Amino acid sequence: MKKVTVVGVGALGSHVVQLLRNDATLKVIDHDRVEQKNTLSQFHARNSVGKSKVQALQQAVNFLWGIKIEAVPHKLVADNAKQVLGGADLILDCLDNGDARRVIQGFVRDQGVPCLHGALAADGQLGRVVWDEDFSIDDTTAGAATCEDGEHLPFIGMTASNMARAAQEFLKSGKKIGFQVYPKGASLKI
Amino acid sequence: MPIEAHEARLNITWAGQNGDLPDPISYDAADGDVLQWASEAIRGGDVPGIDADPNVDLQDFVVDRFAAKDDQPNKILVRPKTPFGGRA
Repeated sequence: MKKVTVVGVGALGSHVVQLLRNDATLKVIDHDRVEQKNTLSQFHARNSVGKSKVQALQQAVNFLWGIKIEAVPHKLVADNAKQVLGGADLILDCLDNGDARRVIQGFVRDQGVPCLHGALAADGQLGRVVWDEDFSIDDTTAGAATCEDGEHLPFIGMTASNMARAAQEFLKSGKKIGFQVYPKGASLKI
Repeated sequence: MPIEAHEARLNITWAGQNGDLPDPISYDAADGDVLQWASEAIRGGDVPGIDADPNVDLQDFVVDRFAAKDDQPNKILVRPKTPFGGRA
């Protein structure tokens, strides 16, 4: 099986991991810990609160389906990019900040590694699943807030599903498809 | 309407709704012009799939350009910023 590295296992990445569990050998990278509010919108359970997100996800995936994934509980920075991202056949960017996205973009463009980015607008208005060659990084707008009360969980799930579908298609055929996802249920193939 | 090589289909996302402007625009149009045309179209209810909105404000929106590939024409997407993915 091909190796897929998922960077960021919060709202998008935690759902993408469970949807791709049958299609690749997975490695997950995130330095964050599970907070109570995360359990409203992420694939993290209440008994994981306080644990490292990647280790909590590693345990959950093993408990639920007997699948082993590699967990890297470190912050991705330029200095460790080669070490933690190296060896991947495909990188999935599920991050929430422009600086870390730029570290990924620099690495994949330098090394020629395929990369699929997932991104959400504030207030659940738009989800994007875009291959790196077409991806522009949006930095956070002052005052904008993402889903903190679970209201957008179904929409986050829709975007994660489209991201997993695009990754699955690439792993199967090498074809790169991208999507824009809207809250009313439609997806635009791009 | 067929889209020429120097033109693009304009796709707009506003208030969680999405649609294409019926007429193509120039692929090389400036971002400011694209946002202005998109605003006018939404205000006038001219974008199928998007409800007319007299208060539309695309000031902080992004203009993405996708060159033609396969059987797809040039596309210009007007969309809200999407900075999130991980933290909730």
